Amino acid sequence: MFEARLVQGSLWKKLLDSIKDLLNEAIFDCSSTGITLQAMDSSHVSLVSISMNSDGFDTYRCDRNLSMGIHLPSLSKIMKCAGNDDIITMKATDDADTVSLVFESPNNEKVSDYEMKLIDLDTEHLGIPETEYSCVVKMPSAEFQRICRDLSQLGDSVVIACTKEGVKFSASGELGTGNIKLCQSASTDKEEESVVVDMNEAVCLTFALRYLNFFAKATPLSTQVQLSMSKDVPLVVEYKISELGFLRFYLAPKIEDNDGDN
Amino acid sequence: MGIQGLTKLLGDHAPASMKEGDIKNFFGRKVAIDASMSIYQFLIAVRQDGSQLTNEEGETTSHLMGMFYRTIRMVENGIKPVYVFDGKPPEMKSGELAKRKEKRDEAQKELEKAEDAGDEENVDKFSRRLVKVTKEHNEECKTLLRLMGIPYVDAPCEAEAQCAALVKAGKVYATGTEDMDSLTFGSSVVLRHLTFSEARKMPIREYNLGKILADLEMSQDEFIDLCILLGCDYCESIRGIGPKRAIELIKQYRSIEKILEHLDKKKYTIPENWMFKEARRLFQEPEVADAEQVELKWNDPDEQGLVDFMVTEKNFSEDRIRNGAKKLLKAKQGTMQGRMDSFFSIVSTSKTTKRKAEDPKSAQKKKGKPNFKKAK
Repeated sequence: MFEARLVQGSLWKKLLDSIKDLLNEAIFDCSSTGITLQAMDSSHVSLVSISMNSDGFDTYRCDRNLSMGIHLPSLSKIMKCAGNDDIITMKATDDADTVSLVFESPNNEKVSDYEMKLIDLDTEHLGIPETEYSCVVKMPSAEFQRICRDLSQLGDSVVIACTKEGVKFSASGELGTGNIKLCQSASTDKEEESVVVDMNEAVCLTFALRYLNFFAKATPLSTQVQLSMSKDVPLVVEYKISELGFLRFYLAPKIEDNDGDN
Repeated sequence: MGIQGLTKLLGDHAPASMKEGDIKNFFGRKVAIDASMSIYQFLIAVRQDGSQLTNEEGETTSHLMGMFYRTIRMVENGIKPVYVFDGKPPEMKSGELAKRKEKRDEAQKELEKAEDAGDEENVDKFSRRLVKVTKEHNEECKTLLRLMGIPYVDAPCEAEAQCAALVKAGKVYATGTEDMDSLTFGSSVVLRHLTFSEARKMPIREYNLGKILADLEMSQDEFIDLCILLGCDYCESIRGIGPKRAIELIKQYRSIEKILEHLDKKKYTIPENWMFKEARRLFQEPEVADAEQVELKWNDPDEQGLVDFMVTEKNFSEDRIRNGAKKLLKAKQGTMQGRMDSFFSIVSTSKTTKRKAEDPKSAQKKKGKPNFKKAK
C-alpha cells in the first residue's frame, strides 16, 4: 500500500508543469523514505532528478517499494482538475496497474477521485557522483528566468562566467551580443532577493538556452534557484520544493570540438 | 545480403534490443558507415524519371548526389560520420558472389526482353537489379569525402567487419548500415536507416548487441552459429531449417557441431563440404586493419574544391554545392553539445514494478495514449 497526502496540493501541479516539457514519461520510485524520480530527456542532454522526503508529506505510507511508470502529460491533465487549494492524495496498491488521485477542497465540500493507468517502462539510471562544485550561485529564480528568456533573443547558447565579483551571462548571435552581470548582494536583508556567489575557482561554461528555458519553468516552485558549476561537468540547476525536497536539472555543457585539425 | 530473417527473429525474440529514435538524438556520436552499402542504396534510390542522374558525358552521378546530401544531413544533426570502404571480398564469399552475378545476368536478359517489348515498368525494375557499385563509383565518393572533410577508412576486406572493429575499439559509437551481419561481426550498436532520405521520415533503428545476447540467452559465438544456420553470405545453410527451428536447435545444443551430431540426417540434408567452421572463423576473426591505428579527423570542407569537382566535372548546381559546403562549415564551427551519458555512467536500469503479461500490440497502444477512467 502506498499513500501520500499533501495539503499544499499545488506543489504537485507546479512540479509537473516544470518537467512535462522535458520528459514525456518517467518512473516514480516510492519507498518508505519518500518519492524519487530520475530521467533524461529524449536527446540525453539533460537530466531531471526529483527527491521528495516522506517527512514533508502530511501523511505518508509506503509498505513496499513501488516503481510507477507514469505518462507525464496524462498526469498533468489530471492534476489540472485539482483546485489550487486542494489537498492531493496519491494512492496505489502494491501490485497496482493504476494510481489513484484524490482531490479534497479545503472546506471538505468537494472530493474528486481520479484513477490513472500506469505504463510499463524501462529506464537507464545514471550514477551521479557527489561533487564539490567550483562555483555555487544562489539567485532569485524569477531573475534567472528573465535572463534566460532575454538572452535567447540573441543566440542559442549562453556563456556563464563566474568570478569573485559576481556572475556574467553572455550570448551572441547574428544581430549582436548581450551581457548581463549580477553582483553579489551587499546586504542580505531579503533572502529571496539576494545574489550569493560561493566560489573556489572561477569557471566559464557554455550551455544551450533552449534547455535553461525549460528548467526555468520551475520558477513558481521556489523564489530562489541555485546554480552549481565546475569546469567540464554538467551544470546543476536546483529548485527547493518547500519542505519536501528538491527538483534538480542537470545540463551537459557545450564543449569544444577537438576531432579536427584546427 | 546479410543474415536471412534476422530482423524478424530479433523482433520476435528480443524486442527490447531495438529502439527507434529521431536522428537528432544521435548528435555528438561518431558512426562508422558501410560505404559500399550506402553507395548501392544511392544508385538505386536517387533517380529521376526512373533513370540514374548523369552529367553531360552520361556518367552516373546518383551516388555523388546521395553521398553529398545524406552526409550533410547527418553532419547537420551533429553526427560525425566516417565511411568504411570494402576491400577485396573474402574467398568464402565467392559462392554468394557467383549467385549474385547469375542473378544479374538473368536480369540483363530480362531487361533486354522488356526493352524490346517496350514494357517500361519492367525496364525500370530490371535496370535497378543491374545496379553494381564499381571501382570508379568508390573512387569518386572518396574524392568527394576528402573535399567535404569527412574521414574514410579502406578496409582490407569486408567493410562490415572493419566497422565492427572500430566500434569495439571505442573509436566510434555505432555502425551505420542496413546489413544485419555487422551484429554477427560483433558491432555492439548498429544503426539502420541512417542514410535514408529525410523525406521518408524513417526513424533511426538502434540495435544493441548486448541486449540481443541477453534476451536470446546466447554468447556471441552461439549467436554467430545461429546466424550461419539462418543463412549468411559465406556458406550454405541446411535446407528445411528456418528461423524458428534454428533458434530452438542452438538453445538446445549450443553449437553447430553438437547440432550435427543429433540432427536427423534423413530428414535434413547437410550441405556437402559444409564450410560452417570457416564461416564462423570469418565472423570471429575477420581480416581488419588495426582499429587503434586508425586516426579519424573531421576537417573543414574545401568549398572551391567541391565546386571544381561537383559543378565543373559533374554538372551539379553551383548554388546547391556552395550551400552544402556552408552547412558543413557551420556544423563544424563552434561548440558541440555534450551528452549527459558521457559525464555520468549508467549504473542500473529500473523497471516499473508491475509488468503485465500482455501481447506487445496492446502494450504499445497503451503507451501511446492511456485512457482515463473516472472512478465512481
